[in-house]
Amino acid sequence: MRKAIWPTIALVVAVSMVLAACGPTPTPVPPTKPPVAATATPVPPTKAPEPTKPAALKVGLVTDVGKVNDGTFNEFAYKGMMRAVDEFKLKSAFIETLAPTDYEKNISQFAEEKYDVIITVGFMIGDATAAMAKKYPTIKFAIVDFAYAPPIPNVMGLVFTEDQSGYLAGALAGLMTKSNVIGIVCGKEIPPVVKFRKGYENGAKSVNPNVKVLGVYIDSFTAPDKGKEAALSQIAEKADVIFGAGGPTGSGGIKAAAEKGVWVIGVDQDEYFTTFRDKKPGYDKLVSSAMKRVDVAVYTAIANAVKGTFKGGTAVFDATNDGVGLAPFHDAEKNIPKAVQDKLAEIAKGMKEGKITTGVKL
Amino acid sequence: MRLTRPKVLGITFLVLGILLSLYSAARIDPAQRTTLGVGTLGTRDVPAQASLVLIGLITSLSGILALFDRLRRALAPTLVTVALLDMLALMIWAARGSSVDLVGMLAASLRMATPIALGSLAGIWCERSGVINIGIEGMMLAAAAFGFAVNLYLSQWLGPRAIWIGLLAAVLTGGLMAFFHAVLSIRFKTDQIISGTAINILAVGASGFLRRAYLVKAYFVGEILPIVNVPLLADIPILGAIFFQNRPIVYMMLILVVLTNFILFFTAWGLRTRAVGEHPLAADTVGIDVFKTRYVNVVIGGLMAGLAGGWFSLETVGSFEDLMTGGKGFIALAAMIFGNWTPYGAFMGALLFGFAEALEIKLQILDAPIPHQFLTMVPYFATMVVLAGLIGRTVPPAADGRPYEKQ
Repeated sequence: MRKAIWPTIALVVAVSMVLAACGPTPTPVPPTKPPVAATATPVPPTKAPEPTKPAALKVGLVTDVGKVNDGTFNEFAYKGMMRAVDEFKLKSAFIETLAPTDYEKNISQFAEEKYDVIITVGFMIGDATAAMAKKYPTIKFAIVDFAYAPPIPNVMGLVFTEDQSGYLAGALAGLMTKSNVIGIVCGKEIPPVVKFRKGYENGAKSVNPNVKVLGVYIDSFTAPDKGKEAALSQIAEKADVIFGAGGPTGSGGIKAAAEKGVWVIGVDQDEYFTTFRDKKPGYDKLVSSAMKRVDVAVYTAIANAVKGTFKGGTAVFDATNDGVGLAPFHDAEKNIPKAVQDKLAEIAKGMKEGKITTGVKL
Repeated sequence: MRLTRPKVLGITFLVLGILLSLYSAARIDPAQRTTLGVGTLGTRDVPAQASLVLIGLITSLSGILALFDRLRRALAPTLVTVALLDMLALMIWAARGSSVDLVGMLAASLRMATPIALGSLAGIWCERSGVINIGIEGMMLAAAAFGFAVNLYLSQWLGPRAIWIGLLAAVLTGGLMAFFHAVLSIRFKTDQIISGTAINILAVGASGFLRRAYLVKAYFVGEILPIVNVPLLADIPILGAIFFQNRPIVYMMLILVVLTNFILFFTAWGLRTRAVGEHPLAADTVGIDVFKTRYVNVVIGGLMAGLAGGWFSLETVGSFEDLMTGGKGFIALAAMIFGNWTPYGAFMGALLFGFAEALEIKLQILDAPIPHQFLTMVPYFATMVVLAGLIGRTVPPAADGRPYEKQ
C-alpha cells in the first residue's frame, strides 16, 4: 500500500505545526518593548550598558490565566514590574498562563533559569507559588492577592483591602443612582472578587439605604461576551450604575453598559486609560475606577529585593498607604454633583483615618 | 409494555409536573405576583402561584401524552416547548414579589444562541456529507483572532469600515481551517477525530501566538458591528425586540438556518450531500463525485464556523481574548445532535443553550437561592441528557466519520 505513508506524513506535519505554534513549554518573552504604549520615553533596550557592577537582578512575572494587556489586573502588575525594571535597570521577562495546570511549570521555567525575583499574579496561583517557593528557597517570590499563614520566609504576599475600594465605588454608585438599583458584574467567586462585591454592597447601602444591588458572578475572567450580557441584563432590571469587577469579563460589561448610557465604574486600574482608551464610545460615562494599586505593590516588592530589604510575610496595601482608592472622575466630573464629590472625599478621609470600616468579613 | 424513550420522557415530565404543581400549591404565597416585562407592551402582572400550578399541569399533560405515544412526530417540539415553559416557571418563581424583563431575556438568549447555532450549522454541513468535525471550536477561535487582527490592522487606513473586511477574514479563516481538516480526512483518510483535535489545539496555539506577538503591542479595543433595525418588522411588539433589533451576524445566522434547510432538503446539491453522507458507494455508482462533494461541504461548514468566530471578537466584544470561545464550539455539536442533524432542530437546541446561559445570569440577578455554579452546569448537564439520547432518537448520517475509499 503506497498510500499508507500519507496519513503518517500528514499527522507529523499537523503535530509539528501544533508544537511550533503553542510550544511544549512557553518560553519567557523578553519584553523588549513595553506592550502598552503608555510609557513616556522608552529606553532602547539594545543600548543598555553592559553591567560593570554585579549582574542586574533578573525578574520574572507569571500571570494568572490572563494577559499582560488585559486592561486591568495582570497589566497593572506588569506595569509595576516595568517601572522597577526601568528604574533599577533590571532584566525581566513574563509568562502568560494559559491554563491553571501550567502555574507550576511556568514558575519553574524562571526558577531553572536562575531568576532572582519571581512575581506571581493572582489568588489562584497561590498553591503553586507556595510549592515552588519551598522547592527554590534561595529565590525571592512575591505573590499578588495571597497571604500565607504561617508565612513562607522567601515569599512576600501582597494583599489588598479590596473591600475598601469596593466600598468607595459602592458609595459613589449609591449616590449617583436615580433608580435606586445598581449592578456589579464579577468574575470568578474568589476572595478578592468577593471582597470587592461585598464592599460595594455595603458602601452603597451606607449612603443610600434604599438601594438594591444586583450582582452576577461569571465563572471566567476572560469572557467579555458574558460580562456584556450580564450588564445588559442588569440594565433591563433598572440598574443605572454598573461596576465591573472581573478583568476582561467585567470590562466587557461596563463597555456595553457605558454605550447604553448608564454610569459605569472600572476596577483595579484606571480604566479610562485602558478599556476606554482614546475616548472609546462611552468614555464620558466612566465615573471612576475602584483602584487596587497592584503596580505599587509589585514595584515595592522588587525595590525591596534590589535594596536588600526583602522580607517574607504579608504586606497589606489599603487606604492608609494609598494601596486602594478611587480613580479620578475624568470626563464624567461635570456630571457628578459637588455634594456627591464632597461626600466621597469625606468617606475616603474617614477610611484613611480608620474611622470608617467596610464591615466586610470573609 | 415496552419502555421506549418517549415513555421514559413521559414519566419524567409527568412526575416533574406533579411535583411542580404540588410544591407551588403548598409553598407559595397566593398573594405574590410576578411582574413580567414584555418590551414595548410594558409589563404584565401574573399571580405566581396560579401560573406555576398551571405550568405544572401542562407539564404533566405533555408527559401523559408522551407516555401513551400520542405525540409521535410532534414529540420533540412539544417537549422542548414544555421545557421552555418550565424555565419560565423557574423565573416566575425566582422573581415572585418582584419583576423580570422577559423580552430582554429572550433577546439575550437569541444573541447568545447565535454562535452555537452557526457552529451547529457548520457541523451539519460537514456531517451530512459524512465528515465528522469536532474542530469547530478551534475554527471559531482562530477566526475570532484572525478577523480581529485584520480589523485592527486595516482600521489604520479604513477606519470603522475595516470591520467588514475583518469579518470576511474571520469567515475565510474558518474556511481555511476546514479545508485543512478536509484534506486530512478526505485525501489522507486520517482519523477525523484526531484531525479535529489537532485543529482545536492548533487554534489555541496559533491565536495565542498571534495575540501575544502582535495584538498585545497594539492595545486596542475595537469597533463592533452596528445594530441594524429591520424596517417595519422592528416595530412589531415583542417579536420585533427579540428578532429584528439585532447586529448583523444574528440576522445572517437566521438566514443561514433557513438557507441550509432549503439547500439540504430541497435542492439537487442537498440530495447529493445526503447521499454521500449515507451511502457514498451508492452515490459514486450513480456518478456523484464523493470527494468533491465532501470537500465543498466541509469548507462551507468551516465558513459558518468562521462567522461564529466573528461573532465573538467583531460583533460582541471588540477585542480578542485567549480561549474566548469558551467551549461554544462543542456545545454547538451537542445542539446539532439535539436537533438530529437538521437545521431547524439544531437551531432549537442552540436557543435552548442560549436561554440556559441567559437564565444563569438572570437568576443570579434575581438573587434566587440556587448556587450560581450549579447554574453554570445547566447547559452541560443538558448536553449530557441530549447525548444520552433521552430526547428523541438521534440518527447520525450512516457514513458519518468513515473515509471513502474509491473502489
